[in-house]
Amino acid sequence: MDDMLKVENLSIAFRTDEGLIAPVQGVSFSVQKGKTLGLVGESGSGKSISTKALMRLLPGTAILGEDTKMTYRAKNGEIIDIEKLAPNSRKTRHLRGGEIGMIFQEPMASFSPVYTVGNQMMEAIRLHRDMNKKEAREFAIEMLDKVGISNPAQRIDQYAHEMSGGMRQRAMIALTLSAGPQLLIADEPTTALDVTIQAQVLELMSDLQRDLGMGMIFITHDLGVIAQIADEVAVMYLGTIVERGPTRDIIRDPKHPYTQGLLEAIPKLDSLTHRLSPVPGDIPSPHARPTGCPFHTRCTRKIEGVCDVKAPTEVDLGEGHAVACFLHADEGRHVA
Amino acid sequence: MLRFTLERLVGMVVTMALVSVMVFLIMELPPGDYADRYAFRKYSGTGVNVTEADIQAIRVDLGLDKPLVFRYFDWIGGIVLHGDFGQAFAFETSVLKVIGDKIWLTLGILFSTLIVTYMVSIPIGIYAAVRRASVADYGLTVFSYLGLALPNFLLALILLYFANKWFGADIGGLFSADYKDAPWSFAKAWDLFKHLWLPAFVLAWSAVAYQLQTVRATMSDEINKLAVTAARARGVPETKLLIKYPARLAINPVVSTIGFDVNRIFSELPIVAVVLGLTELGELLLRAYLDLDMYVAGAILLLLTFMIVFMNFISDLLLAWLDPRIKLGASS
Repeated sequence: MDDMLKVENLSIAFRTDEGLIAPVQGVSFSVQKGKTLGLVGESGSGKSISTKALMRLLPGTAILGEDTKMTYRAKNGEIIDIEKLAPNSRKTRHLRGGEIGMIFQEPMASFSPVYTVGNQMMEAIRLHRDMNKKEAREFAIEMLDKVGISNPAQRIDQYAHEMSGGMRQRAMIALTLSAGPQLLIADEPTTALDVTIQAQVLELMSDLQRDLGMGMIFITHDLGVIAQIADEVAVMYLGTIVERGPTRDIIRDPKHPYTQGLLEAIPKLDSLTHRLSPVPGDIPSPHARPTGCPFHTRCTRKIEGVCDVKAPTEVDLGEGHAVACFLHADEGRHVA
Repeated sequence: MLRFTLERLVGMVVTMALVSVMVFLIMELPPGDYADRYAFRKYSGTGVNVTEADIQAIRVDLGLDKPLVFRYFDWIGGIVLHGDFGQAFAFETSVLKVIGDKIWLTLGILFSTLIVTYMVSIPIGIYAAVRRASVADYGLTVFSYLGLALPNFLLALILLYFANKWFGADIGGLFSADYKDAPWSFAKAWDLFKHLWLPAFVLAWSAVAYQLQTVRATMSDEINKLAVTAARARGVPETKLLIKYPARLAINPVVSTIGFDVNRIFSELPIVAVVLGLTELGELLLRAYLDLDMYVAGAILLLLTFMIVFMNFISDLLLAWLDPRIKLGASS
């Protein structure tokens, strides 16, 4: 397999005043060149933190687990062990932006309000590409044009607050891609946008990914969005991956009760009489993690005396589809 | 930016016009006028019987008999058109001669205090925010509470004592004895500089403590903004990142309160000046009031308020430069 990024056993803990909390526990996934991995889960499931760890962007209070391995193959073929990088070394700075780019949920807040879009783009370009000021500016205009911003030569000197929401996110994509990353992490990039703009931005991202041959990690809580953009999906709950597989399998035939719950919570236009069934209960606080399967407190199909005692291991159901649930313990081959 | 500057400039002129009216009214406020005082001074104890007519004659002589409005326009007209601040009656010369050097020395103290304040509080505040909850941060917090709690005239006394004891230095006043009456030269300026640090340090003390906490608080907020994380995720080196993104916005509240700092320095200056034996305007202002020497008092008040209004104007321009959203709000 052509894995550009392989994450094994990623565990993250934070020192807090109330003691150690562990929002990510033993997560493994990989990303292939030109493919998109969708990370799905409610807020607090650890999806954003996991990707921040990939860029060493976690605060100083974060501790990576001892057997965490994050291997990344750089553009020049070099293999980088991300977990061994020093936080502010030259290598880390090259990785950030130049190898892995990140787009955030709030395009408005992602731009500094006191510098023009062009200023921030040229900064990124000159950090990662060997260009002088003039070349960087021309390249920035070219990138703005590429993401479908009209009048890029004028827009480049505007501030983010002078643009509309959709245009801002396009500009953010242009900014991130201008540094030339080969892996793009998109952290809920369309959540803050109107539905029509959402579709446009998703299409733009797919097109750019195809043109540039980038790998992508797409974070969202919206399985509807995942269906449009991801090749593979990993569903996260309380810092673990509960189900993973090809997008089509996950959407058509979800195995884990949590994935099933998420799919039923999506409004459907063709059955207006159908009442939405949300996943019952709230996501537990990271300070009070349930024992056994993390989902058992909200699960409608919980097996008494099993789910609340033991943590389920991942079961391989074939063709890359795997689930961590006792309901399917007999159906496949145990992975771990 | 040009339009914004012009708008603020017009605002400043209007404010100054209103301030000048107020200053003039304040000058008029004490009961009696210099004619009374002059007659008292000249004839008390001499046995001469002074009549109301005599005083009126002095009044006419000094031009104090004219109506209030007339005198205001005469006064402000002289200042604006000829730079003439009127007569200093008690000194029997022009106000400009009396104030003269003292203006420049006061401004020297003011600006060196401002420079010390910002040069110390901004970098340290940023440092404390970046190293939040470290030993250095807590140490600086303790220091800044000390700074807020310690009255600065007391600090002036303490420093004066130790400077004298350890260095045997004559650091009171603004000049050494050799240069006190010497004409201005490079050596005299250097001598002034050597004396200026002490009042600047004393006056900056509490402002540093206050502004340090302000910068620390805003910087702590700005550091956690998404724009900073996003820039870090693009590989911007950490030091450049901190200065370019959060620090530029974190000094915003400091810049917007430059006018307050000027005001506060002027209020504290007289006490510190007495302790350190400085020549500055505050002491003269007090004497002018006691003597009812209104044009001296007026000139000083006007100059001090002008400095505050002018520094507010500068602070507006700096803010607009720091944060372009302010400009945008003004023109739309």
